[in-house]
Amino acid sequence: MNNGHRQTKNLGQSLSSHHPLTIIHFTLSIEENMPYSTSETVDAVVIGTGAGGAPLLARLAAAGLKVVALEAGKHWNPTTDFATDEKAQEKLFWTDERLSAGNDPIPFGSNNSGTGVGGSTLHYTAYTPRAQPDDLRIRTDFGVGSNWPIPFDQLEPYYDEVEQFLGVSGPSPYPWGPDRKRRYALGPLPINGAGQLMQRGCEQLGIKTSPAANAALSADYYQEGVGHRKACTNRGFCQAGCTTGAKASMDVTYIPLALHHGAEIRPESFVTQLITDESGKIRDVVYVRNGQEERQRCRFVFLCAGTVETARLLLMNNLANSSGQVGRNVMAHTALQIWGEFDEDVRPYKGIPGALISEDTHRPKHRNGGPIDFAGGYLLQSIGVMPVTYLSQMARARGLWGQELKRAALAYNHVAGINILGDCLPDAGNYLELADEKDSRQMPKPRVYFSNGENEKRMTAHADKIMRDIWDAAGAKNVWAFPRNAHIIGTCRMGKNANTAVVNADGQSFDIPNLYISDNSTFPSALSVNPALTIMALALRTADRFLEQQK
Amino acid sequence: MPEHYPNGTVRALLPTDQVTEPTRQALTERLETPPPKPDFFSETEFSLLEAICNRLIPQDKNQPPIDIAGSIDERLVQNKSDGWRYDTMPADGEAYKLGLAGVDETASLLFDSPFQSISDTRQDLVLQQVQQGDAPGEIWKKLPANRFFEELLAEATTNYYSHPLAQEAIGYVGMADVPGWQRIGLNQLEDREPKIIDG
Repeated sequence: MNNGHRQTKNLGQSLSSHHPLTIIHFTLSIEENMPYSTSETVDAVVIGTGAGGAPLLARLAAAGLKVVALEAGKHWNPTTDFATDEKAQEKLFWTDERLSAGNDPIPFGSNNSGTGVGGSTLHYTAYTPRAQPDDLRIRTDFGVGSNWPIPFDQLEPYYDEVEQFLGVSGPSPYPWGPDRKRRYALGPLPINGAGQLMQRGCEQLGIKTSPAANAALSADYYQEGVGHRKACTNRGFCQAGCTTGAKASMDVTYIPLALHHGAEIRPESFVTQLITDESGKIRDVVYVRNGQEERQRCRFVFLCAGTVETARLLLMNNLANSSGQVGRNVMAHTALQIWGEFDEDVRPYKGIPGALISEDTHRPKHRNGGPIDFAGGYLLQSIGVMPVTYLSQMARARGLWGQELKRAALAYNHVAGINILGDCLPDAGNYLELADEKDSRQMPKPRVYFSNGENEKRMTAHADKIMRDIWDAAGAKNVWAFPRNAHIIGTCRMGKNANTAVVNADGQSFDIPNLYISDNSTFPSALSVNPALTIMALALRTADRFLEQQK
Repeated sequence: MPEHYPNGTVRALLPTDQVTEPTRQALTERLETPPPKPDFFSETEFSLLEAICNRLIPQDKNQPPIDIAGSIDERLVQNKSDGWRYDTMPADGEAYKLGLAGVDETASLLFDSPFQSISDTRQDLVLQQVQQGDAPGEIWKKLPANRFFEELLAEATTNYYSHPLAQEAIGYVGMADVPGWQRIGLNQLEDREPKIIDG
């Protein structure tokens, strides 16, 4: 179980001194680094190279396994392929059509999806708070939802490892949650106009704020196996692709590390089938590349395609679903945004979009001091925004058109937002199914039902009041709300019981012993924080548990 | 003249080294390429779509018109999706064709004339009823009027404000990011960021 492909080793180091963007070197090496053939049996195929796949891929490769990653999207070179233009960057979104049903249909495309080597980390905001210990035991504390089968102290070392590896910028000490064992890798990023306004409003209301933890570099950073990455230039375009390598998307962090350790990555390889043998184990992964069907024989499969595509692939292949839970338990964070216009020049396109955080509402009190009427809680985040994103969502939510729209658009340089990111409970009415309608590949489109339940509605109402109060105190005019849910989660939840969960605490399928899932589909509860950091931490834990079992 | 940003800011920045080559290419192409000829819609449908878009996002009279409808047609010809659609809606192309016919039907029921033959004020009344989902007509029994309107408005807004001239008009110069941004706090502007001009 090893291979001799180490040709990329140390190149990053030798080039970095005179080559400011080491990522150029490593991105080229994906095409140069194709050690495996489809005629051999590799140790593992990893499906998807986002936050769930990339860290695990690097870990398995570092252990000497022969690993091949299949990525549906292209391999981009950010320096030459990415424009500072939202429309040009729509290519980072997963645009195979999904059908959004229920009372609160979930938007996909620019939300909740991504494609390309690096997956949706190519356009994530890089907001990387840790979950708090009580996020993992919502059932114990509130009697609703599901506990995680993993205690916090088993996730914590992985949080720490991921933060150090990515170069997360954040405050030390961090004001909420248990004491951290180490400082963040780098000090916090500078606060932009939206962050200053939220600070101003929160101060008056007695709400504690702090610079947020963001996976973008506040100073130049070096990692063995990756090379040098330059500090963030505050271009504010995280959600449409980072051109400088400062944001820790997977393509400039865990993917180079995986290549360094000899992994192979096949871009534009769309997986359609998982073929099992008579023992019920998966033997071949079938995928389409350049219009041709190929298959890769393997000993293990790690499915890391995200909440929607992971469940869709399993349902299409009728696999790993003896529990009937594949596609169930769809959750989406409460994510209401409140926007306001200010006298000051904000220029919301500058700086890390999510500069400021408060977790005072992690387990909030009721406004009148009494007990709260919902389970869980949420965080508060200041938000900057790119113009087309802002204006198109404003058109949707406020329904402004004609001269009213033009007037509101003229105020763009003066707008700032706050949003929440809060827990969501699973509900029998929220699920993913295969529609009869077919996509261009003749595969059934996924249909996702989502309706906010009473808990989400109460939490959102609580947050609506607080955010409006903050903006009033900060001097906002023309305040408006953009109702939304973010980060689709669930569909293959982990648990202790094979009757009610799809995978065990190690991410291993209860039905198919050589199938593991590593992405946000396995989260038993949504958590009250953005999911990316937890997906990565869990991916490393899944890889380590797997490697231990193989000993 | 009401408050406005100076003309020509983005156009002046585009050829400079403050803009990356891929950014310059994307924006210059959008600035200079004439809108594609309609291919998905019939001429009648396309002219109705343009008339509706003119009410949704009035063009700036001092600037060349910014294409909205041509890009919608082009997307539908290429069968491109934004990645999702409301389950209550038919496929995008069908929804657009139905919705356009619905707007004309409503106009005829309310004012005895097709949409393009009625006054601006009456056109706006028709569009308001479509937006509120209470427009009369058989077609709206098959197609949720409010969702049709929402989707059209969102796509029109995206197309319009993706254009460098529309971005100039709102004082956006975020594409000029090669030097990065050092002055990012409240009321902190870099030299290349335009200030609004009072009326």
